Amino acid sequence: MKKLYYKVDKCLACKSCEVACALAHSITGELYKVLKEEKISLPRKKIYSSRGKNFPVSCRHCKEPKCVEACMAAAIKFDQDKGMVIFDDSRCVGCWMCVMACPYGAIRPNIKEKIPIRCDKCKDKDEPACVKACPTAAIIWEEEKEEKK
Amino acid sequence: MKEFLIIGNSAAGVAGIESIRKNDKQSKITVISDEDYNSYCRCLISYYLSGEVKEDKILYRPESFYKENNINLLLNKKVVRIDPKKNRVILEDKSNLGYDSLLIATGASPKIPEITGIKKKGVFGFRTIKDAKEIEGLVPVTKTACVLGGGLIGLKAAYGLKKRGVDVKVIIGSKQVLSQMLDFESAQFVQKRLEENGIELILGQNVQEIIGNGDIKAVKLDSGKAIGCSLVIVGKGVSPNIGLIKDTQIKINRGVITGELLDTNIPNIYAAGDVSESFDIALGRHAVNALWPVAVEQGKTAGLNMAGEKTNYQGSVGMNSIEFFGLPIISLGIYKAGKEELSLEELKLSQARSNNYKKLLLRNNVIIGAILIGNIKNSGIFLRLIRERTDISTIKDKLLQEDFAYPDILDLIKEEERIYV
Repeated sequence: MKKLYYKVDKCLACKSCEVACALAHSITGELYKVLKEEKISLPRKKIYSSRGKNFPVSCRHCKEPKCVEACMAAAIKFDQDKGMVIFDDSRCVGCWMCVMACPYGAIRPNIKEKIPIRCDKCKDKDEPACVKACPTAAIIWEEEKEEKK
Repeated sequence: MKEFLIIGNSAAGVAGIESIRKNDKQSKITVISDEDYNSYCRCLISYYLSGEVKEDKILYRPESFYKENNINLLLNKKVVRIDPKKNRVILEDKSNLGYDSLLIATGASPKIPEITGIKKKGVFGFRTIKDAKEIEGLVPVTKTACVLGGGLIGLKAAYGLKKRGVDVKVIIGSKQVLSQMLDFESAQFVQKRLEENGIELILGQNVQEIIGNGDIKAVKLDSGKAIGCSLVIVGKGVSPNIGLIKDTQIKINRGVITGELLDTNIPNIYAAGDVSESFDIALGRHAVNALWPVAVEQGKTAGLNMAGEKTNYQGSVGMNSIEFFGLPIISLGIYKAGKEELSLEELKLSQARSNNYKKLLLRNNVIIGAILIGNIKNSGIFLRLIRERTDISTIKDKLLQEDFAYPDILDLIKEEERIYV
């Protein structure tokens, strides 16, 4: 299963990944049209800076996801086959339990649309948009490393 | 081959099933529920009442779930007694069932105050899909409804009814809404939002009597004032369903006392969810945290232990998240200082104009509770710091800042970081 890793020393906080993410999840996919869309597409990834370094933060698709445990509407599930956390917005009521539960602060609330915003690894695309957009190759898309037991 | 028995088919029961089946595909699992409905999202009944969630979205697991997991599901059956000596449970219809390992996940029931008229037709608790359907049936003939209690259940019921065009008056004994979740100051934010949306709040009053011959005509308050209504919903909290354990050797206090494995004092009996009184990390003692996410994590842990995968339960934290009319509200752990807690430190940001409130309570530089209203981003990080009892002295000045985020706690957490290389 492929996963996103970040070379923190290479990240310049240019936010190209944020823009690319928002674009990839918009309807038109074109920068000049996106801002006119009815539902503004928000980035699933955010860059935060701490002690001189920059860290992209987005959903890690945990194997024991706290957001799934917390979701009282069964709108979030861990899909074993895809190896990722998937979200069904038709079930979501916007209670923000997932936002409360995520230990990484990786789910942000879109209060206006009443939906949580979280990474979907660009679903069926071969490579997430943030990876392609990163000018310094700080974002790595590769097979998950074995977890040490 | 073992025989597992689970009493209760909601959050804890279903999580228990899934955990047992993770390790054991063969053994027999029987699930008993006194409700006549497949497992559903209990917390969504207010959205069902409001019309925002249709019945097809209320099931917590698809209909096929029980068959796929090879579960013997007994609906509409009530266990009246557990006999731990014989490893059997006795049902209301006098039949009985044996088990090797038992999970008590019986949940809780609404507390119904003893006031005159409380047994009248038209008075409801708000706990089950059946309650929601019966109340919904009365919506077309209801002009005014009174909700007793300003806690989460009462306010959610009020919200659901208001959305359906019913006039709602919420009668609250204390001087604020959500007194089990918010301090006085933050409650004002919520009250303002509710009132702006047409929900009337009557604070500092209890209902003395429900008036009417046959049908409900009014409720009478402490002040003597009567309020006309034809529907009454009681939201005065819940109490654990422990009737089936009384007079057995299973240890109870408010709920069933559980240990580190979510086991009871009887080794092959476990308890999880709203019925269990387990270790609370923020309080540092046992408590009942009748909350959906807590029920799921407890059911999961109990199930693993029942199936032989020894897993310690780290303890729960009181936590709740809700939104009313576009205002998100999150409460974690100890949300206000008790009289005996003079040494607590408070970090607070209160901006009434932008509907933003953030408060953290600290004891010896460890966060023990929080309230967040409006801007709830990163609230999961506060929950984590509470759970892990992290010393935050090095980042104290960052905690309330707008750009506070996960990278700020990287040096403080025990988890090995894998994604930042």
